[in-house]
Amino acid sequence: MTVQALPLWSKLAAKGAPHAFDLELTARCNNDCRHCYINLPSGDATAAAAELGLDEILGIGREAVDMGAVWCLLTGGEPLLRADFGDIYLGLKRLGLLVGVFTNACLVTPAHAELFRAYPPRDIEVSVYGVTRETYEAVTRRPGSHAAFLRGLDLLAEAGVKVRFKAMALRSNLGEFAEIAAFCRERTADFYRFDPLLHGRFDGDAVRNAEIEAERLPPEELVALERADPERFGALERGCTDGMVFQPSGEHDGCDHLFHCGAGQGSFTVGYDGTFRLCSSLCHPDTVYDLRRGTLREAWVEWVPHVRDLRGSDPEFLQKCRRCSLVDLCLWCPAHAALETGSMDAWVDYFCRVAHARAGALGIDG
Amino acid sequence: MIDDMKAEDVSGPEVTLESICVPSDAVVFREIEGDVIIVPLVAGIGDADDELYTLNETGKAIWQKLDGRRTLAEVAAALTDEYQAAPGGLEADVLGFAVEMTKRRILAVRG
Ligand SMILES: C[S@@+](CC[C@H](N)C(=O)[O-])C[C@H]1O[C@@H](n2cnc3c(N)ncnc32)[C@H](O)[C@@H]1O
Ligand code: SF4
Ligand code: SF4
Repeated sequence: MTVQALPLWSKLAAKGAPHAFDLELTARCNNDCRHCYINLPSGDATAAAAELGLDEILGIGREAVDMGAVWCLLTGGEPLLRADFGDIYLGLKRLGLLVGVFTNACLVTPAHAELFRAYPPRDIEVSVYGVTRETYEAVTRRPGSHAAFLRGLDLLAEAGVKVRFKAMALRSNLGEFAEIAAFCRERTADFYRFDPLLHGRFDGDAVRNAEIEAERLPPEELVALERADPERFGALERGCTDGMVFQPSGEHDGCDHLFHCGAGQGSFTVGYDGTFRLCSSLCHPDTVYDLRRGTLREAWVEWVPHVRDLRGSDPEFLQKCRRCSLVDLCLWCPAHAALETGSMDAWVDYFCRVAHARAGALGIDG
Repeated sequence: MIDDMKAEDVSGPEVTLESICVPSDAVVFREIEGDVIIVPLVAGIGDADDELYTLNETGKAIWQKLDGRRTLAEVAAALTDEYQAAPGGLEADVLGFAVEMTKRRILAVRG
């Protein structure tokens, strides 16, 4: 029986139990991508000291499994940077989790490839930052990373490990985007996706946020890129005809709840230092819970409802975003607004322009 | 780093009513919300990558009796008692289940 077909998910959902979680094993990375929301230098001793240890990770995994979780995604930073990656990976699999991995593939060793061959992951998703060395390393800012990336992919392929790809559309690699798409499609029959939307840094670093902003595509270019991808544009169009993308304006008039999304409903994220978050991007200090001081069950049962009940008061947010018919085309959400501005109830100009450009392309009058 | 990379072949000897069958090291059994879910751990379990197994009610009843001590004949006898079935009537079901699950490396025969 396929995973999606199991009646279990509806049982878990009805019980309000989590079925999936992301674990950021580290914020450190071998690369230094211009657009990265999280990376710290691989040798950052403070960040390394704050990381959850193997036992802590397995403890959280065990609690999650007890609550019903089935999926676990290992991400970072670069998860393969951790010397104990294999023990973490296998330990979580032995708990009965379906484990996925997000990686840049640069640090894949023969031992990793053998581990994934013998104990297959649910998914390995590799980010492709460029096809040529010039473009790849213009993004990662690490000499030698392109060769390491190709070597990593080869090791995985030789071991017969299936890989999925994703690309970020950035100013630094836009000139090569068609080649990136072709490279990915050539290597994987079943999956390739690209993401054109960049959100801000988790640590709020102003210099790095300016770098992220510099990598963002102007709304018109972003939409042109989406239009050129029939799958992606088709999905947006289908969403429109299904009534999913376009919400009647004013539907949420009078509601000041911040969270209308699925944050903390079925899934959660654990940061490298043990902070529990309702979704991968929700880092605002009013919303995080320290799993080193409490249990996962407490976070899930007591903290999540508290956060989901938070309200917004910014008049611009209440006037614009809360009543907006384009919210499903928009990167706006309380988490991304907070990463952008520090407050969860702020309107964000760039997000708004992208959403309106998308609506224009879809022939919707927002 | 990894101490046991050779978890591949756990298939054992032929399965008979005298066999004691246990969950194999190649999978993890989980009970979630009353369902028994079998999560593949090693490569080559199941037909497709994203396959999980669940047991139907009969499979679940048999699985719950596989305690590492009972033979399959004893499992069948315990189930016959519990469900007040005709004596010997469940042996073929239990054996069939164990053979199939062992072939798929979900159960192993205790040596
Ligand atoms: C942070 S990385 C961690 C895993 C691994 N290091 C990698 O690069 O795939 C996870 C994904 O987030 C993407 N990402 C990085 N910065 C981003 C940003 N500012 N906004 C949206 N996605 C971003 C990366 O390109 C990557 O695909
Ligand atoms: S490889 Fe991943 S974690 Fe590392 S800097 Fe790039 S996006 Fe960030
Ligand atoms: S930023 Fe603009 S498009 Fe996005 S939700 Fe707010 S008003 Fe709507």
